[in-house]
Amino acid sequence: MSKLIVRTIDLSKVYRRGKVNVPALNNVNLQVSSGEIVGIMGPSGSGKTTLLNIIGGLDKPTQGKIFVDGVDITSLNEKDLADYRLKKVGFIFQFYNLIPILTALENVEIPLALMGAPKDERRERALSLLRVVGLENRADHKPDELSGGEQQRVAIARALANNPSIVLADEPTGDLDSKSAMAFMKIVRDLNRRNNQTFIIVTHDPLVVEQCTKIYTIRDGRVESA
Amino acid sequence: MFSWSLAVRNLKRRRLRTALTASGIVVGISMMFILLSLVSGMETQARSMVRALGGADITVSNSTSFRDRMGGGGFFGALPSPSTLDASIAETISGIPGVYAVSPQFSFSGSINSRRVTVYGIEPPLFEVVTGGLNIVEGRFLSENSYGEIVMGKALMEILNLTLGQTVSLSASQEEEERIFAVVGVFETGMIFQEYVGYISLADAQNITGEYGLVTQILVKCEDPSMVSDVASLISSTVPGVRVTTPTAAIQQASQMLNTLTMFFATIGLVALFAGSFGVTNTMIMSVTERTREIGVLKAIGAKNHDIMKIFLVESLLIGLIGGGVGVAVGSILAYAFPMLTSGLFAAGASPFGMRNPFSSAVNPELGGRATSPIMFATPAITPLNITICFSLGALVGILAGLYPAWRASRMKPVEALRHV
Ligand SMILES: Nc1ncnc2c1ncn2[C@@H]1O[C@H](COP(=O)(O)OP(=O)(O)O)[C@@H](O)[C@H]1O
Ligand SMILES: [Mg+2]
Repeated sequence: MSKLIVRTIDLSKVYRRGKVNVPALNNVNLQVSSGEIVGIMGPSGSGKTTLLNIIGGLDKPTQGKIFVDGVDITSLNEKDLADYRLKKVGFIFQFYNLIPILTALENVEIPLALMGAPKDERRERALSLLRVVGLENRADHKPDELSGGEQQRVAIARALANNPSIVLADEPTGDLDSKSAMAFMKIVRDLNRRNNQTFIIVTHDPLVVEQCTKIYTIRDGRVESA
Repeated sequence: MFSWSLAVRNLKRRRLRTALTASGIVVGISMMFILLSLVSGMETQARSMVRALGGADITVSNSTSFRDRMGGGGFFGALPSPSTLDASIAETISGIPGVYAVSPQFSFSGSINSRRVTVYGIEPPLFEVVTGGLNIVEGRFLSENSYGEIVMGKALMEILNLTLGQTVSLSASQEEEERIFAVVGVFETGMIFQEYVGYISLADAQNITGEYGLVTQILVKCEDPSMVSDVASLISSTVPGVRVTTPTAAIQQASQMLNTLTMFFATIGLVALFAGSFGVTNTMIMSVTERTREIGVLKAIGAKNHDIMKIFLVESLLIGLIGGGVGVAVGSILAYAFPMLTSGLFAAGASPFGMRNPFSSAVNPELGGRATSPIMFATPAITPLNITICFSLGALVGILAGLYPAWRASRMKPVEALRHV
């Protein structure tokens, strides 16, 4: 039994839309062990993105606590949360969200630059990350010169730049063809095996689901084990 | 960080918008630059004017023929023989209370190596006490008993192809006998036409012209600058038949006018800059809005508020630097063109900015009628300091105008920014 890396305790999130309260998460108790590939499924609007954002320190819960590596991240201030996002977690989005005016290499360099790594060092590391995702020969291409699958692989490389212990992905294959989706999951599995990195992936994609070590389903803001 | 390459590429991607925004700054900066250049130019000229006017507090000359001689002569042309004063008047004036020293001089339009120039006969030690002396750049000034020695302006040396130690032939007019003088010193004033001048001893000057015991002006230095006008009126009332002028006082008056003019232009320049800065703020707000999602992504991958702030501040700083750089360039061109633009006006008798040329009243025609030119009003000086000031001003405006948009960008909530489409 490996150690818990993420543990949420009675996590609730209520959005306010004008005078209406919109509940997005309802007493979520989720436990993720280190080294797992967790898939989170659920219908649209069930609260998957909300949960991922809270785990990733992008959003704060209305109630409850969330421990990552033993630290309650709901107690962190804005600056420490940014630091947490920079060092502990990597984000992968459905629409890749690369910076359009930067090359693939430069996009991967951003988190390293934010860490204050010297130019040579971050260049070298970014290149080796691109090699991991099989894109070293596309290093100088801008996002609009890359296919969707390639952009998503650049996004993986960017998410991994600071060697985070958790990688969060929100419908990462939602916009990819099945070949690219399989390539994506192969990389995820390799990384998981090699670096013992934990992945939490929100998805509808059966290709993704079958590679996960654990599946949860969210319905109306409640987590159910699959 | 990536701030610089991000900023450069974003600005390049929106060339037209960048150019338009920067041009708002260019207008203000180039105005400020022309203004500063004009002021610098006029300061330099005013300083050399004071020197050229002898630096004397008061000039005393014969009152009778001033108007007759006004029309005669040009800058370099021959002057009619000036009317004279008895040298003994210098003694009288030096006895007047408040007078520190007097320097009698005899100026005439002479010919050096057949070229018409103004020649001053002076008593070297007194001249130095009263005026502070010449700015000697080569050789030495005349000594107490100089005889057959001349000190000449640098420009005159050059036009006559002379070097220090050579001799020149000097005569009071074409018909008269020439005498040989040795060039012992060269001076500079910073204004070329003030350098078409030679200085010899008073005795030599009286010898050449045959006007023994006479002088054309008496320069007076007061014990204290604040006494100038009192001493001047005392001289007028004590010595009959003299014209008393206070040239440096007039220059002070003129520079007062310059200050007003400076304030006027500075205000216009600042207003233009202010307007330009609004353009920058506006563009930056647009840029922040367009890139909301990018801000969300950067925050999601760990950018701190100050990282985001820096990205946008660098961008507005760059706009400011472009505006400052182009503004300095445009300003330099305009400042350079200014004398040409205005010389036409001056030739036609107009004066700059609808007012009387403040220097024309400051110029003492007794001193050879040089420097009545409005040219000096229109020779801006482009100095490294002015370039630095204007460039920095552009940068400062860029940063200040970008502060609010950058702050707004940095305060965005990551989730909300990410939801932005
Ligand atoms: N910023 C927000 N403001 C208001 N309501 C929100 C906000 N974000 C999400 N919601 C609402 O919360 C619920 C869960 O949303 P989300 O977590 O995005 O679901 P999913 O990712 O599973 O589709 C939805 O009803 C959605 O409309
Ligand atoms: Mg979602």
